[in-house]
Amino acid sequence: MKTQKIGPKPRTFQQLIFTLQQYWSNCGCVIAQPYDKEVGAGTFHTATFLRAIGPEPWSAAYVQPSRRPADGRYGENPYRLQHYYQFQVIIKPSPPDLIELYLDSLRALGFDTRLNDVRLVEDNWESPTLGAWGLGWEIWLNGMEITQFTYFQQVGGLECRPVSGEISYGLERLAMYLQGVESVFDVVWTDGPRGRLTYGDVFHQNEVEQSKYDFEYADTAVLARHFDEHESACNALLAVALPLPAYEQVLGASHSFNLLEARGAISVTERARYILRVRTLARAVAQAYYASREQLGFPLLRPPDASPGAIEAPR
Amino acid sequence: MSQPPPAPRRAERRDFLIELGTEELPPKALRTLELAFAEELRARAHQAALHFGEVESFATPRRLAVLIRRLASHQPDQRIERRGPSLRASFDAAGAPTRAGLAFAQSVGVALDQLGTERDDKGNEYLRFEGLKQGAAAMSLLPALIQQSLDALPIARRMRWGDSEAQFVRPVHWLLMLYGSQLVSASILGLPAGGSSFGHRFMAPGPLRIASPGTYQRLLQRRGKVLAGFQMRSDTIRAQVEAIAAQLGGRALITEALLEEVTALVEWPVAIAGQFEARFLSLPREVLIAVLQHHQRYFALEDNAGNLLPRFITISNIESPMPELIRAGNERVVRPRLADAQFFWQQDRKQPLAARLMGLAAVTFQAQLGSQAQRTTRIEALGAAIAASIGADVAASRRAAQLCKCDLVSAMVGEFPELQGVMGRYYALADGEPGAVAEAIGEHYLPRGAGDALPGSTLGDVIALADKLDTLAGIFAIGHKPSGTRDPFGLRRAAIGILRIVLEHRLELDLVALLERAAALQPLADAGARAAASAAEIYDFLLERLRSQYLERAPERGVSTELFDAVLAARPRSLLDFDARLAALARFVVRPEGLSLAAANKRIANILRKSPAGADLKVDPQRLREEPERALYGALEALRAGVLAAIAERQYAGALELLATLKPAIDHFFERVLVNDPDYALRDNRLALLAQLRALFSGIADLSRLPG
Repeated sequence: MKTQKIGPKPRTFQQLIFTLQQYWSNCGCVIAQPYDKEVGAGTFHTATFLRAIGPEPWSAAYVQPSRRPADGRYGENPYRLQHYYQFQVIIKPSPPDLIELYLDSLRALGFDTRLNDVRLVEDNWESPTLGAWGLGWEIWLNGMEITQFTYFQQVGGLECRPVSGEISYGLERLAMYLQGVESVFDVVWTDGPRGRLTYGDVFHQNEVEQSKYDFEYADTAVLARHFDEHESACNALLAVALPLPAYEQVLGASHSFNLLEARGAISVTERARYILRVRTLARAVAQAYYASREQLGFPLLRPPDASPGAIEAPR
Repeated sequence: MSQPPPAPRRAERRDFLIELGTEELPPKALRTLELAFAEELRARAHQAALHFGEVESFATPRRLAVLIRRLASHQPDQRIERRGPSLRASFDAAGAPTRAGLAFAQSVGVALDQLGTERDDKGNEYLRFEGLKQGAAAMSLLPALIQQSLDALPIARRMRWGDSEAQFVRPVHWLLMLYGSQLVSASILGLPAGGSSFGHRFMAPGPLRIASPGTYQRLLQRRGKVLAGFQMRSDTIRAQVEAIAAQLGGRALITEALLEEVTALVEWPVAIAGQFEARFLSLPREVLIAVLQHHQRYFALEDNAGNLLPRFITISNIESPMPELIRAGNERVVRPRLADAQFFWQQDRKQPLAARLMGLAAVTFQAQLGSQAQRTTRIEALGAAIAASIGADVAASRRAAQLCKCDLVSAMVGEFPELQGVMGRYYALADGEPGAVAEAIGEHYLPRGAGDALPGSTLGDVIALADKLDTLAGIFAIGHKPSGTRDPFGLRRAAIGILRIVLEHRLELDLVALLERAAALQPLADAGARAAASAAEIYDFLLERLRSQYLERAPERGVSTELFDAVLAARPRSLLDFDARLAALARFVVRPEGLSLAAANKRIANILRKSPAGADLKVDPQRLREEPERALYGALEALRAGVLAAIAERQYAGALELLATLKPAIDHFFERVLVNDPDYALRDNRLALLAQLRALFSGIADLSRLPG
């Protein structure tokens, strides 16, 4: 077993991201970039949701800006944001030492696990909109939840074979802890030759304006219409076997739904119906994606050292 | 030509240990898993006829282990004896073996000349086989027993991991199996068994060679930094928490549930005290407890006067050289949570509770059953009816009902759902609502489960009953009554709550009428038309819960199934009435008259069942020919008024006492009179007499259902 050195504590928000990217890159992950659509969490990135489907191995890590309109607090609450960042890692099949790999990432961030109290506390995950569930933990660092760790069992209604391990770090919380600040807006984003900028400098105005939009100005009739349009577009794209563009329509529908909910425009019964509609789309996309990969012969099933140009044996 | 059969071997006895190393197991299931694993294994070893001594079990977040003391090395050998064909059939005249002789030898697996002979009492000689069936070795049986035991564990959701098809609670990492000092060779859940355990994830992560099962626990503790015994760990935590609390001049609040959960979250418990700002002590006690206990799994502390201290104790899973890091981290976590709670506490009180009634219209109780505002209206109507029945303050019950759900739309309950009711009480008091109204709001969810307290006030009883009756009526009406173990709306709990409140607080209520009212109030198209049928169905459901309350929870009451059924047949509409009948009948049936009257009632019931018309006929005294029937009729008529009066006053013992005096007249009647007279007029008249007799008994209970 290799021993991970206890790294220097990242001093800024961006160093935190760099450290995690470097660490998971060293572990062999594809360092992907954020998905360019509004999503509620890193799980919605195609690098997780779609890549978790089917038999092909896959390892990726990336930052994903995530939106939860209902969590907006006009920039007045020191912990809550409607736009925040997750650092997401997915490895398929989940390796036996995944927990150790994760703990090494904490060591790389300067946390000595012989000094701090790190614990895995049961927390199972279920996404009714994605037709997905998994079992796992929230990771506590001295009593604070800093990460979600999940073994996917089902995604888009499909059994995961093999199982993917998913790790989602809450970057703002980790940064607040590392920097010892009491408000997310006081987190130092960068501190270099061009001066020091905080999370607040970068994002406070955005929180204020987006909260106003989410809670006061979002046009519910338009959003409801968008939802319907995304739904029919998704179905149309599935009909011509284009699962990736169809998936973007799922993301659109999901975001419209989140905005409608933040506006309080959805009753409890309607809510269940909306969720069911998104889930139906997500399941159909998952199946279509699986079929498309199957048609391509599951290209990533080649031996790991095969050269990129090698000709695949037909499967 | 025969050889002596081998003597049975003596099994050796050695300790056996299995440890399954896992990723962190769910804390609330850990104790159950531990005990179930040990029990499954014990039962299976027993079934396999492997003898053993004591069974110990161990469980931490990362391991389940069972130690079986003095396990036999193999199953007992079994002596086998078989008689074969006669010697004459087995050998021909020349003494050569026949086909029959050879076939027998082959069937028992030895050569013919290895077999012995035996003689029956007529002197005939037969081939005889004596042998020993060797018991299988424990080492060869154990892997399957363990696999079956793991498969039988009560696991809500099993998971897979990696590309393995194995399924368990969480991924597994090592398997330790030792019989004495020998490794047991096995492969379970994809893991080959070995002789090593692993210590604490951070303090002693390397492999630990275990020399023999008996040293397991000590070695893990000394070298592995793991307290493997659940109880031992739990005791350690309690002692540490109490010691720190004493140092801090306080007393720790240790609930069994919290202690068990915390014990299941650590392998090497180290208690660490932390504090929070004293200003948060202005929060209601229940709010502080919710944050500290439920959300953070901390132990709260109070002073000698029972006031909470601004302190907490957390149980960490590490002996850190820098415990101040852990203390500071935990203090950082609890502060924003308490600050949130304080913000909610201030915000919520800016608006009177009553003003939230409007907001309840937007909260769905259940899609078909409308909003919490509609529900409030129903609870108000039902509560008023209950209050009027038991002489409680109707106006106060209306107020309490209107406010009882309002805290559901407060910010505090939004964040801490377990504080529903509790916050309503605080907010009502803050608004200057009458104390009784506030208490009723706080108490109306009681009892929350088995063994929980009942409401402490009459008004609390009223709202608690109305709330539960409405839930039952509504959920039954939309067809979601409980089935099997599925009871998502907690109807069994609601039903038992109703029974306990009514019986323990001696409330005289016509439950059938209240259920009809509750059913008619449901916002469904045919609620009114279906109310009576629906109430009857729910009342049946309540009475079935009542049956188990008497049979299982109160054996001292001497209520049997037959006795309960006898009273059930009379369908008393009040539970107190039901209870009074059961009590009188339980005392009555153990007396000789009780037994014979039960037998007479059975006989009468049988006769009437065959001629159902009898029930409708009137007795014509002029047609009573025989002396015994005239005597029975006379005795019956003489008693009737007294029995009915006693029943009306629920003096069931007295009524039964009166009815018991009929015994000689009934016996006399059956000895002398033939009911089935060829003259139909006489027969019908006798049937009518018996029907009247039975009707009078049935006013108390159906005695024909009693054994006798």
